[in-house]
Amino acid sequence: MRIHPKKIFLLGVLALFAFTGCTTQKSQVPTAVKPATEKVAPQPKDILKGKIAGKSNKAKNIQIIVGKGDKAKTIMLKFNDSTKGLEFAKKGEAAIIKFKMVGNDKVATVIKPKLAKLPEGVLEIKTNELMGMYESSADMVVIDARPASRYAQGHLPGAISIPVPKLKKEQETVLPANREQLLVFYCGGPT
Amino acid sequence: MTTKNAGLAKKLGYKNVRAYLEGEPAWSKAGNPTYSMKSYVEKGNIVLIDLRTSEKAVNGRVKRAVSVPYDDLEDRMDDIPRNAPVILYSDDAEEAIDALDDLRSEGFKHVSLVKGNYSGWVHSGGEIVTGAIASTEISWVRILGPGEITVADFKKATDGGDPNVFVIDSRTPDEVAQLGIFKNTVNISLDEIPNRMHEFPKDKMIYVHCSTGARAEMAFQELKKNGFKVKFLFLTISDPICDCEILKP
Repeated sequence: MRIHPKKIFLLGVLALFAFTGCTTQKSQVPTAVKPATEKVAPQPKDILKGKIAGKSNKAKNIQIIVGKGDKAKTIMLKFNDSTKGLEFAKKGEAAIIKFKMVGNDKVATVIKPKLAKLPEGVLEIKTNELMGMYESSADMVVIDARPASRYAQGHLPGAISIPVPKLKKEQETVLPANREQLLVFYCGGPT
Repeated sequence: MTTKNAGLAKKLGYKNVRAYLEGEPAWSKAGNPTYSMKSYVEKGNIVLIDLRTSEKAVNGRVKRAVSVPYDDLEDRMDDIPRNAPVILYSDDAEEAIDALDDLRSEGFKHVSLVKGNYSGWVHSGGEIVTGAIASTEISWVRILGPGEITVADFKKATDGGDPNVFVIDSRTPDEVAQLGIFKNTVNISLDEIPNRMHEFPKDKMIYVHCSTGARAEMAFQELKKNGFKVKFLFLTISDPICDCEILKP
């Protein structure tokens, strides 16, 4: 006998969020195993900045990845009814979380989105506007900035693949010659 | 990545640079199609589906494609693992988009299309197979990420066939009360795990599951950090491939 698929499917959808991201995928971030006896130094600060790795409304838990590369650490926090800005704790999105210690638990008090800073002169484009531009066959070059493997799996219509390291290395040779050409860059969501 | 590339382009003198910060997840969520590269259709660990009629598939289909005519798709959905990347093609662009919508709204996480559908594939010089279809069975096996267990190993443990494994169901007691629990499994919600670690065996392997794998992964990270031998099940447990026995309350 199996769990009734329909019922649990709804629960699944709530907990589920596309696990694509601009930074390394979760499956590629092995964390070091620490011996249980090792004491973790107390954190003097009460603010964590990083990417939300997960949120469970049922368990009232948030996980945030702090630090980059090999130093990346996943930290678990709790939240409650008085936690402000819970809507910004979305898996895969960058956030700043203020917390207080309650016993051994970190309890989030305020969550704010960590907004991507756009380079000067670059305007954001939203999904609706981009869809409209596709519909009107606007003259644009859509560029996927994610690693080539993510592009291969699935990319926007007509997009070309230029991962960040490639653009750094090959500069304008991989971009259209015309400097007036409209370029739209995207990746797997905010970092 | 978007901002880095946009900044680089700006520095190189490009005047019209826009940043689509919401990115691919928002694009797909709004019901728009994404397309897979030819090399990925050829070699990726995917489920490739031919939505056209069986007759057409017999006359020529993309290599590795499984024939699931669109009319049968709904009935065949449970044969496709929810975690599998699914790539579709048809000879009708609208039908391909409809199927993409159907799968995404059923909870499939990665669904894309073959560029230009079947004719696009043929034009791009892609490999074609012709002749009778021996099987329409869908066989896909997830390539496990770090810390993941196979469904088979998980099933063995919950069936009681692996005494060296301690299985934790990290869902809430409410969910368990409503939906039941697998055999040989202890319900300790994600929330309680940090406070109850002293109860867990250090000499056994711990398997954690939840409803989709999200909380199980959090629990895995937490337990690993604390020196436990632990793995987790990254699977939506309502997925029909998870055919483990459930004890109802």
